[in-house]
Amino acid sequence: MKAFDIALKDMTRSFRSFFAVVFMFGVPLMVTGMFYLMFGNIAQNGGFDLPRTAVVIANLDEGGPEFQVNPKNIPGGRAAKTMGDLVVNILQSDEMADLIEVRFAADAVSARAAVDSQQAQVALIIPPDFSEQFADIEKGKAVIEFYQDPTLTIGPAIMRSILERFMDGMSGVKIAVNVFLDDASTEDYAQTGILVQQYLDESLAQSDDVEAELLDVRTPVSAKQSQAEEKQNILLTIIGPIMGGMLVFYAFYTGTSVAQSILKEEEERTLPRLFTTPTSQATILTGKLLSVFLTVLVQVTVLLLAAHLMFGIQWGDLGAVALAAVGIILTASSFGVFVNSFLKDTKQGGVVFGGVLTVTGMMGMIKIFAMNSAIAKTMGDTVSLLVPQGWAIRGLMQAMQGEPFGAVLFTVLIALAWSAAFFIVGVLRFNRRYV
Amino acid sequence: MENLPAIEVLSLHKAFGENRAVQGVSFEVGQGEIFSLLGPNGAGKTTTISMLSCLLRPDDGDARIMGHSIRSDGNGVKSALGVVPQDIALYEDLTARENLSFWGKMYGLRGSALKKRVDEVLDIIGLRERANERVGKYSGGMKRRVNIGVALLHKPKVIYMDEPTVGIDPQSRRNILDSVVALKDQGMTVLYTTHYMEEAQELSDQIGIMDHGQMIANGTHDELVKLVGGQTRIDLTVNAEPQRILGAWQSVEGVEQASVEDEKISLLVADSNLVLPHLFEAATRQSMRITSVDIREPNLEAVFLHLTGRALRD
Ligand SMILES: Nc1ncnc2c1ncn2[C@@H]1O[C@H](COP(=O)(O)OP(=O)(O)OP(=O)(O)O)[C@@H](O)[C@H]1O
Ligand SMILES: [Mg+2]
Repeated sequence: MKAFDIALKDMTRSFRSFFAVVFMFGVPLMVTGMFYLMFGNIAQNGGFDLPRTAVVIANLDEGGPEFQVNPKNIPGGRAAKTMGDLVVNILQSDEMADLIEVRFAADAVSARAAVDSQQAQVALIIPPDFSEQFADIEKGKAVIEFYQDPTLTIGPAIMRSILERFMDGMSGVKIAVNVFLDDASTEDYAQTGILVQQYLDESLAQSDDVEAELLDVRTPVSAKQSQAEEKQNILLTIIGPIMGGMLVFYAFYTGTSVAQSILKEEEERTLPRLFTTPTSQATILTGKLLSVFLTVLVQVTVLLLAAHLMFGIQWGDLGAVALAAVGIILTASSFGVFVNSFLKDTKQGGVVFGGVLTVTGMMGMIKIFAMNSAIAKTMGDTVSLLVPQGWAIRGLMQAMQGEPFGAVLFTVLIALAWSAAFFIVGVLRFNRRYV
Repeated sequence: MENLPAIEVLSLHKAFGENRAVQGVSFEVGQGEIFSLLGPNGAGKTTTISMLSCLLRPDDGDARIMGHSIRSDGNGVKSALGVVPQDIALYEDLTARENLSFWGKMYGLRGSALKKRVDEVLDIIGLRERANERVGKYSGGMKRRVNIGVALLHKPKVIYMDEPTVGIDPQSRRNILDSVVALKDQGMTVLYTTHYMEEAQELSDQIGIMDHGQMIANGTHDELVKLVGGQTRIDLTVNAEPQRILGAWQSVEGVEQASVEDEKISLLVADSNLVLPHLFEAATRQSMRITSVDIREPNLEAVFLHLTGRALRD
């Protein structure tokens, strides 16, 4: 009972401290919120919409090879006479309509002028010899001119990634065309159409959603969803791990800073005063441990809920998330006790916050913090497992990705082993200190 | 139980490495008495109190608080005891009421009994009005009062106060001294440490003078003063050459010693009331005027000086 009183008192103190609350809840939610706003804006209904990009297309392609493309394979179901038409059709398809708004210009100059006068964000100029080039390796690469408003980033970036995907895909066709042409040593354009048809049959037809295909890096692994959910998920696959990483990082921060209250109470002289009351040392230490554990528990629970409510993050199956949360809470609080048991006083605490927490935190969440670096991705799995944060975040990610309960359980059990070791060492050291 | 001493200290020893902080301190405090430990910085007062509150384990010796041994019955001691530490030990980010209520729980109080007692203590320390302000916002004196309040919550039989008036305004100091007397009136035993001899003199039934870890004298104020012969010192200045009056004053009955230092004449006398009229008469006879008189009743300062050859305050 007295242990709970001590824990309650510590929690009152923590949650009353503006500084502590900011770090516990404010910073992780704010950082995630920044990414959220960076990757999308919150619609009225709380859902997510990528900004719609206004595109002006000047399709000057004069054609070349005859296409015999099955319209059902082309988004929008329109037949294409030239490669330029194919690009236009794909950009005009219904699936793209949420992302881009297409208008046409008669020539390159007026297309660019539309961007310069800010009537459009991007101008696409498909050259007259686009189809021609596409089929001919000698005449060089097939190039679409991409002209964007330099002050904008998100809209054009999305556009560009769509186009790049498209061109990448098409270059596959182009190589095939060239190989075929070399072999046949003839300029049989009709054959090109057949090759394009085969490509579309194989690749585009595999996925009945072009948008998903084009943005598949960001598409969730989970099963089929409605279009609205899918849009949301594109964002969440970015935001989810960031929020998870923030949550684990700041749970460890909180664990360490609350555990530091043992040292702080020694300096405030309230710890010796506690020892003059008829309260056993075991009770006092239990109370302090309990306060670390309960504070992190509150923090993690609130952050999980808040992230779900504010950003719509789906953490996964309730049981698995709860299990992962237990893993985070126990590693974070035991880590705090462990680290502080090695400190002489709170003055040394700066080292912990500046060094130990940051370094181990970065190691544990290297995959999330260094999102785009390939090295981080491959190293992430080994390096992160050298620190408890790595195991803490792993469980949460597994829950989020819908991995089986057993897999989450396994990760959390290893996290618990870390926690047990930390608790034992920390408690022994603190016990020895105050006898 | 009635005639049992509240505090019985038997030759306590404590060393910190080479530093022998407490060396064989013994004393006894009867129930309902105020006992002051008087001594300069580093004398060993806090170390003694720490041992008596089971915070420090003595190297040797023992003590019994209301019959509970500090060696074998720590919990009995702690339950009988309220401790006011020298350093303010409170949670500054909690209010006075929250502090009192938390510490009350640590002494095993709960529920409505706790709530009632917290209110009582707030009245005793005179902070009921401002009970819901955070302690961090209080003045030094108010913090000191809360610091004392914490030790009163469980109505202990014995209370230790380690220099509770250090660094505070006269008003808070007065409040604290009055409350110490009030505690005694309620039958509480108080062990009080200070290096202000005026406080020890005003409050105490018994005074123990400590220096370098040892109890160098112990008794009532009067008993201690007798150690220096109980003489009063009178310092005077006159509007003429001091040497001219010195002989006349030396021969006044009751003057035991006379000396001149700078322009000041110092006399040691048994009773200043009897001697002073004669000093004025002698001056008038020589057509001199006494320009200042300073009477110093015998005090603990003099006792300390007498016993150690050093002043109590550095
Ligand atoms: N925890 C400790 N470790 C080492 N030395 C200590 C410790 N506590 C006290 N001392 C030393 O023991 C001696 C007695 O200290 P103590 O605090 O008991 O004196 P005090 O009479 O309370 O002085 P003050 O009036 O300054 O409070 C001092 O020399 C002090 O430096
Ligand atoms: Mg002291």
